[in-house]
Amino acid sequence: MEGTEVLEKKQQNSPGDDIRTTNYNILGKIFHGAGIYAVAALFLVAGIILQALGVINNFLTAQNMLNIVDAVSMLGIVAVGMAFVTYSGHYADMSVPTTMALTGIIAVQMLQYGFFPAIAAAVAAGLLIGLINAVAIGKFKANPIIWTLAVNYVTLGVIRLVWVNKQIYPDMIAKSQWASDVFDNIYRFRFFNKIGLPVVYMIILVILLNFIMKKTKFGQQLKITGAARKASEFSGVNVERVIGLSFVICALTATLGGLTVTSLSRVGAYYNGAGYDFKAVTAIVIGGMTLAGGRGSIIGVLGGVLIIGLMNNIMTLLGVGTFSQDMIRGIIFIVVVGINAKSLRTLGRDDA
Amino acid sequence: MKKGLIFLMILAVFAVVFTGCKKEEAKVVEKEATTSNLGASLALETEVMNLKAADGQALIKIGGTVRKVPARPADPSALPETDPLHWWDMEFAGEITNKTNIPESPADGAIGKKVIMIVHGDHPWTTACTNGAQKVAGVYGMDLKIQSPNWDLAVQNQMIDQAINENPDMILLIPLDAKTAPQQARKINKAGVPLILFNTLPDAAAMDYAITWTGPDDFGQFRKLARLWADELGGKGGVAYVQHAPGGSPYFARCFGPVSELAQYAPGIKVLDMQAPGFEADKTMQLVSDWLTRFGDDLKGICAADDSAQSLGIFEALKKAGREDVVVIAAGNSKVGMDLVREGKLHAITYQTAEGDGALAVKTAADWFNGKEIEPIRNLPQHMITIDDVEDFYPPQW
Repeated sequence: MEGTEVLEKKQQNSPGDDIRTTNYNILGKIFHGAGIYAVAALFLVAGIILQALGVINNFLTAQNMLNIVDAVSMLGIVAVGMAFVTYSGHYADMSVPTTMALTGIIAVQMLQYGFFPAIAAAVAAGLLIGLINAVAIGKFKANPIIWTLAVNYVTLGVIRLVWVNKQIYPDMIAKSQWASDVFDNIYRFRFFNKIGLPVVYMIILVILLNFIMKKTKFGQQLKITGAARKASEFSGVNVERVIGLSFVICALTATLGGLTVTSLSRVGAYYNGAGYDFKAVTAIVIGGMTLAGGRGSIIGVLGGVLIIGLMNNIMTLLGVGTFSQDMIRGIIFIVVVGINAKSLRTLGRDDA
Repeated sequence: MKKGLIFLMILAVFAVVFTGCKKEEAKVVEKEATTSNLGASLALETEVMNLKAADGQALIKIGGTVRKVPARPADPSALPETDPLHWWDMEFAGEITNKTNIPESPADGAIGKKVIMIVHGDHPWTTACTNGAQKVAGVYGMDLKIQSPNWDLAVQNQMIDQAINENPDMILLIPLDAKTAPQQARKINKAGVPLILFNTLPDAAAMDYAITWTGPDDFGQFRKLARLWADELGGKGGVAYVQHAPGGSPYFARCFGPVSELAQYAPGIKVLDMQAPGFEADKTMQLVSDWLTRFGDDLKGICAADDSAQSLGIFEALKKAGREDVVVIAAGNSKVGMDLVREGKLHAITYQTAEGDGALAVKTAADWFNGKEIEPIRNLPQHMITIDDVEDFYPPQW
């Protein structure tokens, strides 16, 4: 009886609307509207208060804000690509670390033929891994985690076998100084001596991939496929192609991430890219994208990336030790995932 | 019947005499073989000592600077971390040991000996290290088998079990974890297989079960490096430490070595922070950028546990902040580190010969097979690479 009254009241308040969307208080409305950026704003406010109290210094400065964005830019590049895999309902691409390592080391090896052949070879290698994942998971429905983990190990084995556990150096392999310098600048070039190229790559990718996800037919098909694969199949969507494309996009952004990391570390080595799989998943989940697929956005993922940067920055400024930082990051991850799950459950969408 | 019995008895006497002679003959042959193997093995000494590492340096450099070992305090852990003696058990692990069940040297030469080397994990450093080991084993004609658990302690334990089952003449082990090393060493020792530990320092108890430990004197190196650093800093200013991965001896030696050294040598130098961001350039860059925001001009020096990715991260952060006055030192002599020294960015790095590390372990094994006396600790030489001599260490080993 009570439930019927609430239902009627809600229907009166907003006829035609989903009755579950009217149940927010003011704070809830802010969070619903601003999404993860409300959480980012909370971190910013916390930083400002700590600075005002004299607990930390120089938090709200242009240089510090730039440092934060700069530090997470490579994570952003990888995360926005992997978000397509998550959005497609396939959790994560665990082959990202070795895709980064392989494309980086191939680029360094091919620098002997010039900068552009090196980049082309790296992109081809990344594309190949993406296509292998696309066929296995899209067409043959392999378990995405198990399959991409296996690909990760195979790729690692290939790198170790071919380069015999050695690391190779761009400046020793490139035959022209120009090629070596340009490769070095994939990471190091700065606009106005302030804004690093990786930040620019990240911004361009966010704009481009957000457009693809939200404004194109492929994006719409990906959303339906991620939310309900069967329904998507019945409605005539070429699900295999859609899922496959999401893995290809992920591999291509991992390639860009790999080239950037390799340029920064000035070595081609099998360990470049280690840890980027879990870091990217963390950013994606904190950014509000559900692991079940079909929900979330690239803009949200960017928010998740920025929150990680803000969190690291504030903790270091506070003098929090490395081990405590890891623990705090873990707790925040659990809390965010918990809140996300609870919120979805409240809305009757608790399949995440 | 009687004749037959007598004949049999005579035959038996002949048989016993003949067998005895054969045994004597076998002993003589064996002794001759031993002597000849030992002689041939000892004769290879000069060739081994003339081997070169990829950087053109001598591959074998035994007995670097011998340091005076101070008396062990009753309870080192009760002393503050800034007191060098607080680290006595770690720094001088192996100096006081209660050697248990250590097998005697067969003194029959190193040629043809089966040696299993179990390292810690795959890494370009490890590749260079095992290259050095193979160079020495090659000269001695040793059957050297190298195994890597790829940083997995459980796999390393399995490899130890398998190695014991193969009944080799010697096991050379880089313990993955200092705390687990005594158990591993005890197991090998109980199986009667001679053991040499190398590269990373284990807990002191592990030394009881090993013939010796060979490798770099990380504490000693970093105490020297710290003094160079302090001199450059003018004995004052705030400094921060980018640490090694927790667990192993470098984590302590490359941070608390200089911290405790400078507490005595340059008390005007203040520790601002110490963090272990791992070995990724981007993470170190963020850490150092945050330090520069937090400490500003108070930050005058940074000590890094790694001269490669960590150092690159440090210099990227310094470049962004426009700081060229920060004095940076680091461990290791990778190409990246040496390039940074050459460019005048890194003030000094430690000479950490990877090839020499592996080579010294195998050479020490050969010395033991040759019946030579082995010291409880065999350190690699101490040397600081600066812009003055960095060219001597090119091309890099890894």
